[in-house]
Amino acid sequence: MGVIVGPRVIDAGASLFSVLISPVAVAAGFPSPAQDYFDGRIDLNAHLIKDITSTFVVRVTGDSMEGAGISDGDELIVNRALEPKDGSVVIAVLDGELTVKRLRITRTGVVLQAENPKYRDIHVPALAELTIWGVATRCLHHV
Amino acid sequence: MPKTVPMRRMPQIAHVDVNCFYASAERAFDPSLEGRPLVVLSNNDGCAVTRSPEAKALGIATGEPWFKLAPRAKEWGLVAKSSNYELYGDISSRVMELLARYSAWLEVYSIDEAFLGVKGSPDQLLALGHRMKAAVRRHVGVPVCVGVAPTKTLAKLCNKWAKNNPAFNGVCLWESVPADVRAALLVRLPVDEIWGIAGRLTKRLNVLGIFTVQDLVNADPVMIRDKFSVVLMRTVLELRGTPCIPMEEERIGRDQLIFSRSFATPVTTAAGLREVFSIYGQQASARLSKHGLQAKVLTAFAATSPFRQHEQAYPSVCVPLPMPTADPVLLTRAAHALLPNIREGLKYAKAGLLLTDLRPTGNQPPLEPFENRHEERGIGPLLEEVSRRFGRSSIGLGHGGIRSGLDWTMKRDMRSPRYTTHWDELPLVKAA
Repeated sequence: MGVIVGPRVIDAGASLFSVLISPVAVAAGFPSPAQDYFDGRIDLNAHLIKDITSTFVVRVTGDSMEGAGISDGDELIVNRALEPKDGSVVIAVLDGELTVKRLRITRTGVVLQAENPKYRDIHVPALAELTIWGVATRCLHHV
Repeated sequence: MPKTVPMRRMPQIAHVDVNCFYASAERAFDPSLEGRPLVVLSNNDGCAVTRSPEAKALGIATGEPWFKLAPRAKEWGLVAKSSNYELYGDISSRVMELLARYSAWLEVYSIDEAFLGVKGSPDQLLALGHRMKAAVRRHVGVPVCVGVAPTKTLAKLCNKWAKNNPAFNGVCLWESVPADVRAALLVRLPVDEIWGIAGRLTKRLNVLGIFTVQDLVNADPVMIRDKFSVVLMRTVLELRGTPCIPMEEERIGRDQLIFSRSFATPVTTAAGLREVFSIYGQQASARLSKHGLQAKVLTAFAATSPFRQHEQAYPSVCVPLPMPTADPVLLTRAAHALLPNIREGLKYAKAGLLLTDLRPTGNQPPLEPFENRHEERGIGPLLEEVSRRFGRSSIGLGHGGIRSGLDWTMKRDMRSPRYTTHWDELPLVKAA
């Protein structure tokens, strides 16, 4: 039984990622014939979000994930349904705060790594002792 | 993906509801609130409407006014939050979307509870209950309990047991509770613990010697019908295991109005649903006006037929309204936000509106351009034209107003960010 959960309009004023990108010819010459058949906008919801029901957008504060291309002020798309794996960028609950880290699962234990030499790793005896809030799937980096 | 279980047994009803919904929704985005006593306050920061278990343990009652609690908050470590209906509405939508994956027959009963038709052996039903509980917790971040029974009334009762008795681990199946345990529980349970029984009705039942749920089970249904009502007779029959409370389609509660209908013939296009929601917007508006209420948050949903073997869908959308309103035009326009989520060609059998964050009309005179009759006076089209030409935030009504989420009518000093509906208020995650 297939179940479709359509993309949700998060804000009635403007769909979060409703971007108009029409196939306009850039080079000189004939205009693109596709222009006449243009039938919809690229919907970033459809491309960036797999499971809208369990996906949230969060905003990063701090520079500890610079090495992963995640900067202060960037937004992350976080899917709570995903199983955290070794190497996942996760949102973990640390001291009552949502914190973004790289998850490392090794034979000797679980490590929450920063991607910036200024910050120390956090060692956790087992994954069960950690609350993983969600797994980041995309970074909306401000360029 | 969850699977429905093939079965020859009688269908059962699962009642799923979120534990301390408003408090749990707050905690989902602010883990520092975990384990702390927390109350969510009614509009204008008046009274405690939701209490976390820790707050209950402090002896705080539902409806206790905040001015009485505030002086002791520090000593207790008590946290208070103003109602954040945009957040609650969106979390509610997500919970319902998720539950719809487990049963094609889903009835949204209120912002935080739903009935689902389920089938299976007792073991399968228990496993299903635990799967739903785990999924909502993990995917959306809020805890639920599940009660499963042959009738809605019993399913609600089981849910209550699941909540109050840790031995059930959050899921209670009527069939698998041993008969002697059931009997012992029913004898102890006051009759007003039953869905739909409260206040004066309790007193009238007590006069007849009906004090416990077991007393009511034993009562003669015909006598109950004659002395009280058909509604109460149905409750008695439901307690005895005969399902007879039909799908409720319209209900107004203390803080929410739900309006939903099944269609005689399925609607298969977004255009068709546009018409449906236009009608619902007007009807919901009439209901609100009748009760002298306005709403600030609207949830629109549609569902495919549970009885057909084809693709299922349960699109749902939560829309913060630009201001408290009962205006049919605004309600309709907000409901139309669901239309982009409608898949053409699917057979939609039902649609509905859930209006929350209700407050009495006329607390505050609306600003001139926000008056309800703007449509008649042609202001609506004008505003749209202005928005179209000068950008969405150039004028307050319509989408610009919705987007900025102006909240000028309410005192909500302690409201948490609207984490999931406002780009400027996203949850912050620390990279440190």
